[in-house]
Amino acid sequence: MKKRTLQRGLTAFWWVTITFLYLPLLVVMLFSFNASNSAANFTGFSLRWYERLMGNEQIISAFWNSLVLAIVSSVVALAIGCLIGYGMYRHRHRKLGWLIVLIYLPIVLPDIVFGISEMAFFVSIHRHTGLLQPGLGTMIIAHVTFQIPFVALIVYSRLVGLDATLFEAAKDLYATPFKRAVHFLIPTLKPALISAFFLSFTLSVDDFVISFFTAGPESATLPIYIWGAIKKGVSPEINAIATLMIGAVAIAAVLSLMFNRQGRH
Amino acid sequence: MTETNMAVRSRGVVSETRHLLFSVMPGAVWIIVFLVLPSIYLMAVAFMTNGPYGQPQMPLSLESFRQLAGFGFLGWSPGNLYTLLRSLWQTLLSTVLVVIVAYPIAYYITTCREKWRPIMLLAVVVPSWTNQVIRTFGWMNLLAPGTPLSDAAQALGLIAPNMGLYPSNFAVTLGLVYNFLPFMVLPLYAAFEKLDTAQVQAAQDLYAAPVRAFWHAVFPQTLPGLLAGTVLVAIPAFGMYVIPELLGGGKGMMLGNLVANQFAGSANWPLGAAGAILMLIATFVGLYAMRRIGKRLGGGEEVVI
Amino acid sequence: MTNPMPAPEVEYSDPLDDIRERDEAMPREASSIELKGLRKQFGKDTVALDGVDLTIEAGEFFTLLGPSGCGKTTLLRILAGLEDPDGGKLLIGGKDVTDIPPHRRSVNTVFQSYALFPHLSVRDNLAFGLRMRGESAVERQRKVAEVADFIQLGSLVERRVDQLSGGQRQRIALARALVCEPNVLLLDEPLSALDAGLRGQLQVELQRIQKRLGMTFVFVTHDQDEAMVMSDRIAVLDSGIIQQVGTPSEVYEHPVNAFVARFMGHDNLFAIQRSADDWVDTDLGRLQLDPAQQRVEQQGWLLIRPETLELGIEVPPGYNRLEGTVRERLYRGSRIEYRLDINGATLMAVASNLGQRLHAVGDRVTVSVCPEDLVRVAA
Repeated sequence: MKKRTLQRGLTAFWWVTITFLYLPLLVVMLFSFNASNSAANFTGFSLRWYERLMGNEQIISAFWNSLVLAIVSSVVALAIGCLIGYGMYRHRHRKLGWLIVLIYLPIVLPDIVFGISEMAFFVSIHRHTGLLQPGLGTMIIAHVTFQIPFVALIVYSRLVGLDATLFEAAKDLYATPFKRAVHFLIPTLKPALISAFFLSFTLSVDDFVISFFTAGPESATLPIYIWGAIKKGVSPEINAIATLMIGAVAIAAVLSLMFNRQGRH
Repeated sequence: MTETNMAVRSRGVVSETRHLLFSVMPGAVWIIVFLVLPSIYLMAVAFMTNGPYGQPQMPLSLESFRQLAGFGFLGWSPGNLYTLLRSLWQTLLSTVLVVIVAYPIAYYITTCREKWRPIMLLAVVVPSWTNQVIRTFGWMNLLAPGTPLSDAAQALGLIAPNMGLYPSNFAVTLGLVYNFLPFMVLPLYAAFEKLDTAQVQAAQDLYAAPVRAFWHAVFPQTLPGLLAGTVLVAIPAFGMYVIPELLGGGKGMMLGNLVANQFAGSANWPLGAAGAILMLIATFVGLYAMRRIGKRLGGGEEVVI
Repeated sequence: MTNPMPAPEVEYSDPLDDIRERDEAMPREASSIELKGLRKQFGKDTVALDGVDLTIEAGEFFTLLGPSGCGKTTLLRILAGLEDPDGGKLLIGGKDVTDIPPHRRSVNTVFQSYALFPHLSVRDNLAFGLRMRGESAVERQRKVAEVADFIQLGSLVERRVDQLSGGQRQRIALARALVCEPNVLLLDEPLSALDAGLRGQLQVELQRIQKRLGMTFVFVTHDQDEAMVMSDRIAVLDSGIIQQVGTPSEVYEHPVNAFVARFMGHDNLFAIQRSADDWVDTDLGRLQLDPAQQRVEQQGWLLIRPETLELGIEVPPGYNRLEGTVRERLYRGSRIEYRLDINGATLMAVASNLGQRLHAVGDRVTVSVCPEDLVRVAA
């Protein structure tokens, strides 16, 4: 009797929490279809804010910046992170404490410290050498830095989950080191690599703080544009871009999960 | 040991080391050059003097730390101290609130049917995949003047007429709880799932009263998860920038905003760097403390994520 | 068994590898194996192999037998090239291959975990070695079809590895190695994961395959029954040292020391207190021995095989006579085991179940022991 009351209470609490979690996103999505520019009253359905987006060059360029940043940084991080993950696996019996510290550093460092140290560093390097002008390039560098650990950890955990004698079987069956990579390692890691790519992509699109501090005047991404628009005064267009981004990230994240699960089977 | 074998062996060791370097070096060098060096540079900046254009310059001094403590041209002002205390308070408050919400949620998920659990966990996590700015913007929409929530708060006399629920410290706390809830639910769920039910049943036999059974049998077993969640919530909350900036306004500023502002509008890099050092110290002290406690609980590895 | 370290591997690609390896790996007839003073140590204190000298004949079914940690798996891995010895030489087919990496040795392994590639179908698993060796698609197809037929699993080639049962995986792993037609086939406890029935069946099958192909098999196991059933010769290892090499009957009937005797399953070992050329004193009393048998210096053990004892009959002339009491009787169907108490010492005896009258617990019995069946073994 008492137990059932508790369970009912918990069920109610669950739904309240879920409402709490989704309400802000739903409001953004709902008001992106609002006919008026009121943020408080929904006056009717319209696609006018989406139409406005198409005509806004700043938004279009921010969209391309976001996309280029996410794809390029993910590809670079995939290559570098994959190598580290493999190195960590192959040499897991050695003392690699320094490497673990290095890999966890980007994860534990507060975003704001991460962002401003890179900004201060890039600005000083630029002042002295002319290299590393703040812009898309510096943003890619910064994003790769925080993506590497996630790629490395995904690859490492996939390798640790494998039967170690598979590596020996490949050697035993006449595969040269190069052929082992092509015919065994890469096909076996494929799901993990795809999953890591989508995760990196999601992390890149999700990031604001680090992008904000490493960006140049020409390299605003969508989150940076939204930030500026919010600071200038709320515009209903933001709801429309935000809705599109929620959709895109949800798709990428689901893909990442799907491939990660596939890899485990 | 023959000579050829010696050669093979040492060649093996050399090539192993070379392999380690080739595989790990690109990433290690990348992180060292683009994160470790910048962090060291930032720390160095904290000990420099602020130049006329907000650029760090010689000589070395501790001026920035004096400024951080509130000493300026006009004597001491409590502004920065308030910001620091507010950061600590917001971190503490939001962490406690997150625990209060996450604990029953995590428990509830474990009581549901097995096939629903991954979906329920996903439901909790999905909102955090969206950009932080957008999520916070959603709360701005919800808490603005004229929205049902603000109207209700006005009707209850909690806020002045025609005002919204943001900007305010309340909005910041709400934003932090919203932002970090999934980070607490996941480790707590993992702890609940591993719960030794035999112990719980034994406790029910021995203590009879459910409250005591919970306290003696259930709670200690979830402590490692709680600790892991606390690390994941409290450390980033202390350095939060976006949420107080959008929901807090001038009187809701936290340490992250203080630091960021020194690199944006009122440029004072050394002061900002000093603030960043404070944040780093808090981060590592927090991590170290949790690790120590975690080791004592015997769940050390999980706590370090 | 004793491999806390991963196999060191040389990880650079040599463009000549492909050409060289094709030459190295061409199928040849069965090869002999020679080990000369092989040493291997893990870390500072763990000696896995302590100077192993051994010759394995071409076409032989040879078994490395020993408890876990005795070095048998390390030895096998050195044969495969997955582990580098710290010292000594390894010759396969008369050629020194100590420094040849595994992918250029015409040696294949059936791993304990089978190590089938999960990302490939059964067919691609079978063809993997041929493909790596650069054989043409036509050749590959022909050989894979042939080997699948040979192990009678032709219907499975399109399956995925995770759709196979344990026994099927085992056979595919065997076929994947056989199809490469290696000079030597190594088998690392390949039957240990299977249940008893399937195990017995595959023991017979493996032996038959080996005889038919005439290939050199080196088999690792910790199960002495399995070793005796399958092998032409057995090497018993302990603490990185070969204790005895011989045919199954030599090792079983004439173990050289107490370790080998115990490992081969013998219970009836009695410390020798005093001895002469033709007698020994043990807890059982004085027993006459065949004087032709070699004397073991100092402290040794007397081995009595339980199946050589005869109970409750007229003691034939020249036989030793023991008097004792039945303490326990175990009915095993085809045979009956008795635990006897003789002068306070325990002696096990086994009688075939021929329908004779069984002795009951508490019965006094006379035991006849033929002097020729008594074996002296070193400590």
